[in-house]
Amino acid sequence: MIDFSMYDFKEPKIKAYKCEKCGTVYYPAPMICKECHSRRDPVTDKHWETFDLEGPCELLAWTRLWNLPEGYNRKFLLFGIVQFENGLRASGRLEVEKPATGMRLVATVEESDERPGKPVHVFVFKQD
Amino acid sequence: MSRVGVVGIGHTKFGNLSQYDLGDVMAYAATDALKDAGFLERRKEIDQVIVGNMASGLFCHQSAVASSVISKMDMEPVPAELVENGPASGASAIKIGYMAVASGMADIVLVIGGEVMRKVTGWTGTEYVATMLHPEAEYNMGLTLPGFGGMFTRMYMEKYGLTERDLALLAVKNHANGAKNKYAHIQAECTIEAIADGPEANVVNTYVAEPLRMYSTCPVSDGAAALLLVNMDSPKAKLFSKKPVRIAGIASATDTHCVHNRKDPLKLEAVRIAAEKAYAMAGLSPKDISFAELHDAFSILELAISEEVGFFERGKSFLAVRKGETAIDGRLPINTSGGLKSKGHPVGATGTSQAVELVRQLRGEAEQGRQVADPKYGMAVNFGGFGNNVVAMIFAKD
Repeated sequence: MIDFSMYDFKEPKIKAYKCEKCGTVYYPAPMICKECHSRRDPVTDKHWETFDLEGPCELLAWTRLWNLPEGYNRKFLLFGIVQFENGLRASGRLEVEKPATGMRLVATVEESDERPGKPVHVFVFKQD
Repeated sequence: MSRVGVVGIGHTKFGNLSQYDLGDVMAYAATDALKDAGFLERRKEIDQVIVGNMASGLFCHQSAVASSVISKMDMEPVPAELVENGPASGASAIKIGYMAVASGMADIVLVIGGEVMRKVTGWTGTEYVATMLHPEAEYNMGLTLPGFGGMFTRMYMEKYGLTERDLALLAVKNHANGAKNKYAHIQAECTIEAIADGPEANVVNTYVAEPLRMYSTCPVSDGAAALLLVNMDSPKAKLFSKKPVRIAGIASATDTHCVHNRKDPLKLEAVRIAAEKAYAMAGLSPKDISFAELHDAFSILELAISEEVGFFERGKSFLAVRKGETAIDGRLPINTSGGLKSKGHPVGATGTSQAVELVRQLRGEAEQGRQVADPKYGMAVNFGGFGNNVVAMIFAKD
């Protein structure tokens, strides 16, 4: 039987990690839990829970970058660092009219093929 | 542990050397260091060569550069290895050379740091330098080192009241020093009128990564610098004509690869820890330092590093810059060479270049107008990644 599920559209996601032994959360994936020293097997993720990192967040820092690297055919891009409600932080792109430190945002994930190599999933933080 | 001293220094002019082979550029600086030490003809008696380079595989499509340099200098069969630690590769190479001598494994070590970055366009070079970021959580997002420099600057401004004009004052100070440095990439002064106060300032000094402007960002440079290290407690120390400048302290430390995972992203913990270890090793404190070379790839880093190493209170360094305390005639001159801003930043060469400047100042060999009056101790901080792998060095005139 043909498995058509492989042709289904898969929404871009970025995963965060939770150590099942002590509950500490991480982004990006660690190899060893800093609290209980549990090791994560990068193939099976055994004893580690994964969850989608998305939703409400607060803008901690931002910049408008004018000298973009190879692959980016745009005049500029906004970037920011955000903090989620669970305390995790992430860096990514910013799509807001007037960025301001401390503003409430929502984290979304999109696919980007601008960097060399295969397309990757990137954070895009938008107005709440 | 044996005492380790520098008996020879060499330095190419920094700038656009893209028509030259990386091995030639490194060998030029290295032969200058050997000539300075009066050891060129006896170079095969060197116990070890350590080469610092960040990304020759990307910038020059060339690997195994240590072997290339050895052959160009007719130094076979002297052992040679490469040290890579991002933009701190140069100082890391010195640290490994120091360890080799201090441990007794070698008595004479040649350290060479070099990079040729301008064989590729600035567009491509920015992409190559960004490969030192976290591959999944930073690089993939499209972030670059200037991007983090911009975010760090904004956080500092919002917390401590730093202005864009304060950053421009740093450029004016460092260009004034670099204009007199024969090795500097940009040997030209700039005025506060041209880059901050005047009507054309927004055109002359455009944004790179807001609020960082062009005059708050180092140029992309090529070049190399080299040092000859010797065991000061060995009879071999008498082979050299120059009095050694002693490496009193050298240490490094690391921090999180992802900048966003730092508890306080404004704290450069690796800088603080590396400096504390270097002070402890030297038996010195910040007040003993006569002058410093601090890694100002972005002007904000000169300020933040000067606070982490204990020269100024947190959030107060720019007030000292306004008063001229870090100018060449101030109480604590910083970036006497012109810093990365004016002298240039060939990434793998920067740490060795900073060390060469420490030696030139401590010997009293800096050019007229930028020589510090009777310095005793010089400090350098070479900053790898966005502060995730940092080396601090303290050199002494005994």
